[in-house]
Amino acid sequence: MLGIIIGVGAVVLMTGVGKSVEGVILGQIDFMGPQTMALFPGNEGPEGGNSSMRPDFDAITFSDTEALKTLTTVKYIAPVVFVPGNAVYGREETDPRIAGSTPEYYLNQNIEVTEGRFHDQKDEEASNSVVVIGSDIAEDLFFNQSAVGKRMELANKKFTVIGVLKPVGMVFFQNVDDRIIMPLSTAVAMTGRTYADMVSMQAVDDFDIAFEDVRALLRQRHGITVPEDGSTDNDDFLVRSAAQAEEILGTVSISLTVFITLIAGISLFVGGIGIMNIMLVSVTERTREIGLRKAIGAKRKDILLQILLESVFLTLIGGCIGIVLGIGLDFLISAAVNKVLSEYQFAISIGAIFLALAMATVTGIVFGVYPAKKASELSPIEALRYE
Amino acid sequence: MSSQNNPTNGFNGEDSPLIQTKNLYKSYFNEGLETKVLFDINLTINKGEFVAIMGPSGSGKSTLMHILGFLDNHTEGEYEFHGKAARTMDEDMLAKVRATRVSFVFQAFNLLPRASIYQNVMLPLIYHPIIPAEERDSRVNKAIESVDLTDRTNFLSNQLSGGQKQRVAIARALVTEPELIFADEPTGNLDSASGIQVMKVLQDLHDSGHTIILVTHEQSTAEHADRIIELFDGRITRDTEEFKTRWAVDEDKLMK
Ligand SMILES: Nc1ncnc2c1ncn2[C@@H]1O[C@H](COP(=O)(O)OP(=O)(O)OP(=O)(O)O)[C@@H](O)[C@H]1O
Ligand SMILES: [Mg+2]
Repeated sequence: MLGIIIGVGAVVLMTGVGKSVEGVILGQIDFMGPQTMALFPGNEGPEGGNSSMRPDFDAITFSDTEALKTLTTVKYIAPVVFVPGNAVYGREETDPRIAGSTPEYYLNQNIEVTEGRFHDQKDEEASNSVVVIGSDIAEDLFFNQSAVGKRMELANKKFTVIGVLKPVGMVFFQNVDDRIIMPLSTAVAMTGRTYADMVSMQAVDDFDIAFEDVRALLRQRHGITVPEDGSTDNDDFLVRSAAQAEEILGTVSISLTVFITLIAGISLFVGGIGIMNIMLVSVTERTREIGLRKAIGAKRKDILLQILLESVFLTLIGGCIGIVLGIGLDFLISAAVNKVLSEYQFAISIGAIFLALAMATVTGIVFGVYPAKKASELSPIEALRYE
Repeated sequence: MSSQNNPTNGFNGEDSPLIQTKNLYKSYFNEGLETKVLFDINLTINKGEFVAIMGPSGSGKSTLMHILGFLDNHTEGEYEFHGKAARTMDEDMLAKVRATRVSFVFQAFNLLPRASIYQNVMLPLIYHPIIPAEERDSRVNKAIESVDLTDRTNFLSNQLSGGQKQRVAIARALVTEPELIFADEPTGNLDSASGIQVMKVLQDLHDSGHTIILVTHEQSTAEHADRIIELFDGRITRDTEEFKTRWAVDEDKLMK
């Protein structure tokens, strides 16, 4: 009975958790439009680290980004410059990701404000000290009171908050609600930078073509020759798309499904062994009982029918308890994880439940009825003497 | 005994002896190894007898009882029950004989451990092809009463003392009122007071017309019977009519 409960419960729980995790991953993919692209300096992209120590960190200059605007296959070209420093408001302090970018940034990121406005071209031209802040920053520094119009300090410089971004949550497992965006011109003035840390944009139509256009333009401007195998080895930049990331996540999700299936399989197997053990342990006792029943006049078919009904009943009861326990545990885990990761939603796999139940019943019947059948073929005294 | 418990179909009526063995042999085979246990047993037991089988441990008493009670097969020779040869009976026939004709009080009780006294005693009635379901309850209660356990009817059998288990086993054996009751060392695990109580129940059964075959290695227990068969190394070495020298009813009174 315990074996059945554990086996079925494990299958239900593991597949439920698996489904929830899958939901989180698929949610990441859904978020960004597949048209969004990003251009990074250096051959390794953002994986190379953010430090100015890595090669080609300054490869993408603002004249490059201006040149990109001549392309017809990409739009909303927004160079991004990261500004190191803390954000301070009164006695509150936080460690945000501060970026300077142009108004196109809001367009290619598909983001909205819940309060105030985005910065515009006028702010760019005047290098205004204004910022649009992420929802987490608004919460941390202003405790959800209206932040618009408040003056805060970024990297020891005073800024006026003009907008608060709508919460987005995790994108590719990174919290994007702790960002602060200022006009690019302001960031350039603060850092004296001539190059972008990243350029975000959107493909107008087909992004394979957009990719090729961006590459061709930059290779031409940087005087890069493409190796014979056509690889990107010589490039001093890297283009990424949300669609590419989606593909990666897609593979992750497939391997996750495989993983879950594997876990479910293992749980089924372990559960099956558990059930088998329970059934086999009771064989001795069962065999004696069968011997006794035969001794007092039970027919073979009386015994088989009884054992069959018992096995089915037992496994079904155990299976139902297992399902309830599995779902309950899954629910508790979901509730706990949900506090930390809001994308994690409670989920159960109906298919797995039926599979688990079927497995429990089949194992129960096979390992309950088979020994019983053997026992019922013994003479009563042999069965009674069984050890 | 009510006629419904005596279906004569399949048997040669009541003329043949209840039990007759002719040159009966029994061997056990374990992994090809033959253990000869019974040799050339010739035995006739008639209806209404009270037979005690005696003999040292390992002499084959239980084995003989199991064969006579249709719980085990013999190896050679013939065993006839009401004139019908046991080896000609098929599984269903054997089940029917076990359900209606004979019952067994085992040396090791063999109760269902997690079932109540009531359920244990009820068990044979479930497989009885004739006794109607509505008679079961009264029969069970009557059987439990006859072994003096009415106040413990709903106890689980693993909550009982050895003597009480033995009495439950007897109640289970008599609940179908079979014509033939086997009792394998029914007093072996009991103190003399409980032993006498058990013998009283058996003697009462005998007095009401049941045939009793019991195994014992105690002379005092055997003396309750009116025939003693002695086994030694698998052979019958003595078979004598006795006049009962002990009456459990009187002994029971003496004890009190
Ligand atoms: N299943 C078996 N396989 C092989 N030998 C057996 C088996 N059962 C009993 N025997 C042997 O048969 C012989 C008779 O056993 P049985 O149980 O009939 O003796 P018994 O007279 O009832 O002894 P006890 O007084 O100790 O109960 C013994 O020597 C025993 O070892
Ligand atoms: Mg014995």
